[in-house]
Amino acid sequence: MRAFFLILISICVLPLIVRPVIATEIWIFAIFGLGLNLLLGYTGLLSFGQSTFFGSAAYVAGWLLKHYGVNVFFALGIGVGVGALSALVVGYLCVQRSGLYFIMLTFALNQLFYFVAYQWTSVTGGEDGMQGVPRPEFLGLDFKDPLVYYVFVSVLFLASLWLMKRIVESPLGRILQAIRENELRAEAVGYHVPRFKLLAFVIGGAFSGAAGVLYAMLFGIVPLEAIGFVFSGNVVFATLIGGSGSLYGPIIGSFVFIWLSESMSVVWARWPLLLGVAFVIVVLFFRGGVVEAWHRFWTWRRSSKPAT
Amino acid sequence: MNLFLGQILNGIATGMLYALMGLGLSLITGVLNIPNFAHGALFAVGAYFLVSVVGVLGNFWLGLLLAPLGVALLGLVIEYAGIRRLYAAGHDYQLLFTFGLALILNELIILIWGPVGISHLPPALLRGGVDLGFTFYPKYRLFVMVMAGLLVAATWLFLEKTRYGAIMRAGIENKEMVSLLGIDIHRLFTVAFAIGAFLAGIAGALTAPIRGLSPQMGVDMLGIAFVVVALGGLGNLLGAIAAGLLIGVAQAVVAAYWTEASTAVIFAVMALVLLVRPQGMFGIR
Amino acid sequence: MAQVLDMAAILETRNLSKSFGALAAVQDVSLAIDAGGLHSIIGPNGAGKTTLFNLLTGTFPPTSGRILLDQQDVAGTPAHRIAHLGLARSFQRTNVFPAFSLLENVWIAAFATGRSWKGLLFRNTSQYPEANEQARQALRDVGLIDKQNQLAREISHGEQRQLELAIALAAQPRVLLLDEPAAGLSPEETRRMVALVRSLKGRYTMVLIEHKMDIIMSVSDRISVMHFGRLIAEGAPAEIQRNPEVRRAYLGGVAT
Repeated sequence: MRAFFLILISICVLPLIVRPVIATEIWIFAIFGLGLNLLLGYTGLLSFGQSTFFGSAAYVAGWLLKHYGVNVFFALGIGVGVGALSALVVGYLCVQRSGLYFIMLTFALNQLFYFVAYQWTSVTGGEDGMQGVPRPEFLGLDFKDPLVYYVFVSVLFLASLWLMKRIVESPLGRILQAIRENELRAEAVGYHVPRFKLLAFVIGGAFSGAAGVLYAMLFGIVPLEAIGFVFSGNVVFATLIGGSGSLYGPIIGSFVFIWLSESMSVVWARWPLLLGVAFVIVVLFFRGGVVEAWHRFWTWRRSSKPAT
Repeated sequence: MNLFLGQILNGIATGMLYALMGLGLSLITGVLNIPNFAHGALFAVGAYFLVSVVGVLGNFWLGLLLAPLGVALLGLVIEYAGIRRLYAAGHDYQLLFTFGLALILNELIILIWGPVGISHLPPALLRGGVDLGFTFYPKYRLFVMVMAGLLVAATWLFLEKTRYGAIMRAGIENKEMVSLLGIDIHRLFTVAFAIGAFLAGIAGALTAPIRGLSPQMGVDMLGIAFVVVALGGLGNLLGAIAAGLLIGVAQAVVAAYWTEASTAVIFAVMALVLLVRPQGMFGIR
Repeated sequence: MAQVLDMAAILETRNLSKSFGALAAVQDVSLAIDAGGLHSIIGPNGAGKTTLFNLLTGTFPPTSGRILLDQQDVAGTPAHRIAHLGLARSFQRTNVFPAFSLLENVWIAAFATGRSWKGLLFRNTSQYPEANEQARQALRDVGLIDKQNQLAREISHGEQRQLELAIALAAQPRVLLLDEPAAGLSPEETRRMVALVRSLKGRYTMVLIEHKMDIIMSVSDRISVMHFGRLIAEGAPAEIQRNPEVRRAYLGGVAT
């Protein structure tokens, strides 16, 4: 409950502190992180190719928005569908392997999509990206207004958070965690592990797809990077630094990452170097992320009080 | 027909380079059991080191020797200062670390050598072409084929015929056993990483005169190296060689008819093979 | 007393064999497990006992032969389906879900074989009364109900072995396969495990692999002896004790 209010407050306060565009980006990236964390934190699957679903959804929805004038909700629905479908295809190939193979496969398939996007310039715009993605008005709502769009995205974020909370507290959530904890035993007690992993993939892909569409509409462009491996790495970093062990970790991670990248990118064109350094430092010194450090702090505080 | 045969030769040349990359990555992932996302960056560094050494010393052959040694040294430092502390950390942190390294190296390349692509000519001795009957083929590419082939053979011999190579292969199979036999497992890891880095570095150095250099070259090659390992089997050295050649040739043949799809084809081939044989071409179920 | 018709065995293997390349781990094993009894399988290390269990639970398919559960051939059924057919197993090496509470550990097994998976994606796990009660009952049966909210990784080794059993019980199986439930237990813990196994007799058909002879002798209705993958003897405990071939198989061997 505490967490929910904190989030609500941050949603209200954020656009007063940073530009609405940045604030919107934070919630979009949080949705992206929620999708990844179902795989990474809950199922124990390190998917290093989430941008496949993010970018594919962005391109398809962007195309429809640009050339067919669909409305924002339709585009969102398409994005979720494309994200889920691409995750189904990729997931099917990947869940049959585990460990390092799995990680490598998600990456390699990500590269496949990247190269297709790079070459298919007539549709994706190649290196220049898909430009001119509109945010058409609908039902009297002028989505071009940054604040209106911010509210729209925030509501969607809250819906995504609620949905993910339902999922992780459902039997599926527990089954996925059981797979993470002990895949052999999960199978022995009666769960078809690859099928459940695939399901996690598809759900994660749906969330990533939603994030992708919202991203495309936010910046009016689908950059090639959106389907590239750096993007995939960024969301992994954000999720790990926020703490993959909790539902809210990706939210914190999104704040940290967007703040980091936005503040660094205006200072130096070579800011990915600093990002890389940040990754290295976090890995060497801050494993477990912010949420775990917080938990450890609270457990320590609680243990110094008399036991009930 | 001549075009086709010429492409086959091209494919063998790049295939050999892919095999070198796959071999190095397979060794690292097999022995150390970590995902090395910096492998492509090491390849790029090798190419850029070559350009610098040749620029300073004026000699291609020295460059071909010193550049990969420089990359191997870099690999030593990376393993010792960073990766060594992460063996117990789990794949997600290892991934993030090597990914961060890749970013750092990539940006350093841009800082030092600039963001624009560079071209680098082969040494005078290897310029021009050779008449092979069905086509006039670039000398340098023949050289790369031979050189890469020798390196692959040398690596394979080292791993199969020397005592330390056998220890390394045993390390791929069973690390606990190897350390129980009293072998310094940490040194084994460092050596494996250095060798892998060396192979990536020399692949990069050899590539420079063929395709030129760009800061992107590392990322592009990373994906291909992963495909080679995924197809050939982790730690399966012959598999890496076979897979490298296979996709090299496949890519070259496709490039003759549909240039744009040539790189995407590599990944498509991988996806197809894995659909039919999830364990890779040579993996065991 | 009325004569009951010849009750077919609830679990049977017929000429079951499994080879790994040149290694014949299980050779031509024909076993019949009677319903409601406790049938033990003993033999020196490497005799093929765990491989036999792995065949029964579908970890891998047999090279040849049949496995009949209630007269249905289930050989080659994949591992994740076996639980749904009424066969549950506990493992020799403790195989629990470390970050879960004890209750969650057994719940996940109870839910799997439960009546329905309705609401799989969106109903809260607390809203499955049947699975919840089945899970609690399993914990009660093994005596761990007081610790239901503790995490599996925080309890002692002996308690983890009890949890190991509870997870198998939670599926309410027809046949329970117990692979060395007393492995690594102290004498006191072993006594508790034996009492637990005895308390389950009659309620479940059990097949037990064990090395500790005193356990075997005190709980088994029937004993089968394996050696080098083959069945070398079968009978009541007293017969097996007197059997010279069995003695020979264990010479220099392990039986404690």
